[in-house]
Amino acid sequence: MKRILVAVAIVIIAVIASLAATAGGALGPLFDGVRSLAEFYLFNVFNAHNATLTAMSPEAVTSIVWDYRGLDTLFETVVFYMAIIGCVALYRGIELVRDGPEVGLSRIVKTVTKILIVVNIAIAASIALHGHLTPGGGFQAGAAMAVAPIIIIVVFSRFFLMKRGVTKEVALSLRSMGLLGIALVALIPLVAWAATGTVAYVMQNQVKIDSSFSFPAYIGNALVSGSLIWYNIFEFLAVTFGFTIVFLLLSVDEKTVKNALRGEEHEH
Amino acid sequence: MSISPIDLFLGNFVLIAIIGTIAISLYGIVAKPNLIKKIIALTIFTDTANVLAIIIGFRKPPSAPPVFIGNLARPPSLEELRSFATIAVDPLPQALVLTAIVIGMAVNLLIIFITLQVYRLYGTVDMRRVRELRG
Repeated sequence: MKRILVAVAIVIIAVIASLAATAGGALGPLFDGVRSLAEFYLFNVFNAHNATLTAMSPEAVTSIVWDYRGLDTLFETVVFYMAIIGCVALYRGIELVRDGPEVGLSRIVKTVTKILIVVNIAIAASIALHGHLTPGGGFQAGAAMAVAPIIIIVVFSRFFLMKRGVTKEVALSLRSMGLLGIALVALIPLVAWAATGTVAYVMQNQVKIDSSFSFPAYIGNALVSGSLIWYNIFEFLAVTFGFTIVFLLLSVDEKTVKNALRGEEHEH
Repeated sequence: MSISPIDLFLGNFVLIAIIGTIAISLYGIVAKPNLIKKIIALTIFTDTANVLAIIIGFRKPPSAPPVFIGNLARPPSLEELRSFATIAVDPLPQALVLTAIVIGMAVNLLIIFITLQVYRLYGTVDMRRVRELRG
């Protein structure tokens, strides 16, 4: 009873404070407009008339993530990489056996899941491949795609996934391929510099003031926004399989883990 | 165009609610001895901080998402871009929040793994008891 009273009191105080702030005219200017930095991004993101500042993408968020602030994202991907490596390191010495009983939930749940997984994969792929045109991108698509393995693990069991080839090692190598792809796309301008002699910079997308290098913004009639689509695809791969590894590790039964921990103690 | 008093009130209420939620979640992180409850408070804290960042990039109506809508087969004209830049919300906080969410998810997973390991080794997730046990 007392807790409810405290909660009601907090809500009343918040309402009174907001009324006072409104009457005082507070925070009105906050929503008046966006900062000039935002207007710079919005005006230049798809501005082919200003070729040295554009990312050639209608999606401002993806352009900032992979072009204007690309190096930030690169290092954030490194943080993601390290976190997954930390999880894998905590499970060192624990072997994930492939064979086991495929138990899982009822036939109804399994059938519904089979349909939903297809839809899930299609949606995730569209988020990744359209990331430079509509809201979305590699990160979001990877997070959406990572739902598939966790649902499969819950509904069908871990062994269902592992018997069909999605093991920890496969996921680790696919994730590394994604990260390698990101690194390669970032370094392609340097390769082009070495090959053609025109100056280019790491993670460059479109032409810059003293560099004529540019990823193709259009392939045929399709807008691919230069390097953005490639970053999205490789990030999709990295995030999907990064989370898959973690979910596989989390689904290891307690007995196996405890045996492994006990084994470590005996050795010392 | 000026913002209506109702919208202004709601905006202020949301901001005050965010500040309150941040305060409560920080209290949860510091004061709760249970590691799982600490993690829950931490996720509430990061999500609230993300909402705050998004709200700072908001702009009063008429506003639109920071995605250019139009014919994509050719680059748009300067007039189209100017009208887009005058109504779209700030994309920078959204870009930062986007990566913060995924990185937060990965870091949360790492913390959960460590908590799981603590539970397996000590048989409890209560920090007061873990401190007494000393390995």
